[in-house]
Amino acid sequence: MTQMNMVQAINAALRHEMRRDARVVVLGEDVGKVGGVFRVTQGLWDEFGDDRVVDTPLSEGGIVGTAIGMALYGLLPVPEIQFADFIYPAYDQIVSELAKLRWRSGGEYPAKLVLRTPVGGGIRGGLYHSQSPESLFIHVAGLKVVCASNPHDAKGLLLASIRDPDPVLFFEPKRIYRAAKGEVPEGDYTVPLGRAAVVRTGEDVTLLAWGAMLYEAIAAADEAKKQGIDCEIVDLRTLWPVDIDTVVASVVKTGRVIVVHEAPKTCGFGAELIALVNEKAFLYLEAPPARVCGYDTPFPYTLEMDYLPLAHRILPVIVATARY
Amino acid sequence: MHTPAASSPAPPLREDGSVDPAVDRACADVLSDELAVALYEHMVLARAVDERLVALQREGAIASHASAAGQEALIVGAAAAMQDADWIFPSSREFAAALWRGMPLVAYAHHAFGTRGDAAHGQSAPDPPFWRAARVASASPLVGTQIPHAVGVAWAARIQKADVAALVFFGEGATSSNDFHTGLNFAGVTRAPVVAVCRNDGWATSTPSSRQTASAGFAIKALAYGLHGARVDGGDVVAVLRVVREARARAVAGEGGTLVEAMVSRQDPSEKADTDPVARTRRHLEGRGLWDPAREERLSGEVRADLDRAVAGAMAEEKPSRDALFDHVYAELPWHLQEQRGSR
Repeated sequence: MTQMNMVQAINAALRHEMRRDARVVVLGEDVGKVGGVFRVTQGLWDEFGDDRVVDTPLSEGGIVGTAIGMALYGLLPVPEIQFADFIYPAYDQIVSELAKLRWRSGGEYPAKLVLRTPVGGGIRGGLYHSQSPESLFIHVAGLKVVCASNPHDAKGLLLASIRDPDPVLFFEPKRIYRAAKGEVPEGDYTVPLGRAAVVRTGEDVTLLAWGAMLYEAIAAADEAKKQGIDCEIVDLRTLWPVDIDTVVASVVKTGRVIVVHEAPKTCGFGAELIALVNEKAFLYLEAPPARVCGYDTPFPYTLEMDYLPLAHRILPVIVATARY
Repeated sequence: MHTPAASSPAPPLREDGSVDPAVDRACADVLSDELAVALYEHMVLARAVDERLVALQREGAIASHASAAGQEALIVGAAAAMQDADWIFPSSREFAAALWRGMPLVAYAHHAFGTRGDAAHGQSAPDPPFWRAARVASASPLVGTQIPHAVGVAWAARIQKADVAALVFFGEGATSSNDFHTGLNFAGVTRAPVVAVCRNDGWATSTPSSRQTASAGFAIKALAYGLHGARVDGGDVVAVLRVVREARARAVAGEGGTLVEAMVSRQDPSEKADTDPVARTRRHLEGRGLWDPAREERLSGEVRADLDRAVAGAMAEEKPSRDALFDHVYAELPWHLQEQRGSR
């Protein structure tokens, strides 16, 4: 066990898998010698060289499009998009090509890659370095979507993502890149995709969260505890396919559910989660399901702490839901 | 700095139908007797498939077909210029490349009809077909998206030091797409061994090429990407074969990829026998003493019979089961698709 932050844990996972599997290549903008703008790939170029850690031209569509070709040939690309906000030039390649290749070829031409990208706000990044676009990819058949909240899970989920046969979007919550620290096992281990973690058991209200907002949910739950409200907190870890059994079991137990996410509220992943809860646990519900989300506005620069669904916004919703 | 090289002069096939046996004999350096006959047979097959699928589409038996009539010399010639281990990325019109690579006509018929016997399980529109066994890739009908894929394959082959290149086809309209620019830019930067063939028939649907670019043609665009550029008569199978072979050899030698601009006619080839690439190739074979009316008659009969059999077989086959809808979205069926399929 070693104490690591998220950046170090993701770096350790990439290094581990590149040593283990010669097919793995890393490509993206500034990922080589400088190690990426967040230094997640630092040192990989020194160890693995130009052919496996590649600084690409500045084109997200080209990064994903050529990575698809590399995957077809038999390599295992792990491209980085420098910020999730920059992913849209690659959206066509992700949605129309990457997500559909296996299906449209009857399973003969799967294109396996893991697309890493930092998401979320709270670093004064402004409107083009802070967004959380997960629902735009969850809506597309053929993709898996992962978002880790701590170093242990980040390494284990990334290794599982690289070894999974399907294309994975691996979202890295940049607000906690260095703030989230913890023990990370050395060597090989995976955190399986499709399994959530119940990070705190409770009886009164279920909180569903992931990434950086997990810590806001925990902080709000701590405050609620002082008012006698006992929250159960589920870290989804894999957003899609979501661990529906864990979500439903928790809501069946508590009868109350709140989803917390940074992305705008309307058509955010919270909408789907609450629809699923309604379909599968409606008769267990003691209160209307609730969402505490980003607003349906662009992501702000100066007012980002007003935009984010921080603990002080979650707490009153917990209280209202618990006392409904 | 890599300047676009003019295509080296290949002995041209005669466009006017005149007889010049010296020209035809000179082509033997590029094109052996055996290969010349094989190319012609595939061009005849491609034309017959086109005519049949257009007719079936007009009857409503299949939803669509992207005709390649008049482009047979380009498609078959370019495919034949590549080596077996190379990859081919078609756009919507290059079914003949898959047939050249060994895709059975029966398999293409099942694909066109989207039957239970289709490798794509009826999930893909009729064109273009893919053929995994011979590295003919699955392309979408979206314009230009396959170009970066071909570059990625070629780049990966270069990383692995394999003697493998990629050939990618697209129409001149695709040169306006993001993926054309980014794909060729990546090809230049990475020295990926790719041969990008731009079919210039002067039109993209209803839009003339003058509305796609203000540059002097398309081959010249290679210069800006650090690639080689070449322009070739796409109706001349010998010239196509020669230009693409040279491009492939340069590419795998690490000297960079090539953008080939192939001039083809959009005119219905049956209306203009002088420029019809199938007729031109037949006259070439005749000039070399490799073809005669008896062989032509035999070939026509065989192609017709093969097509009849393939189409009848596909029409008689059942459509895929409803469950096939859920197959291959993911490698394994996740819970929500199990629910939607009705098995959870």
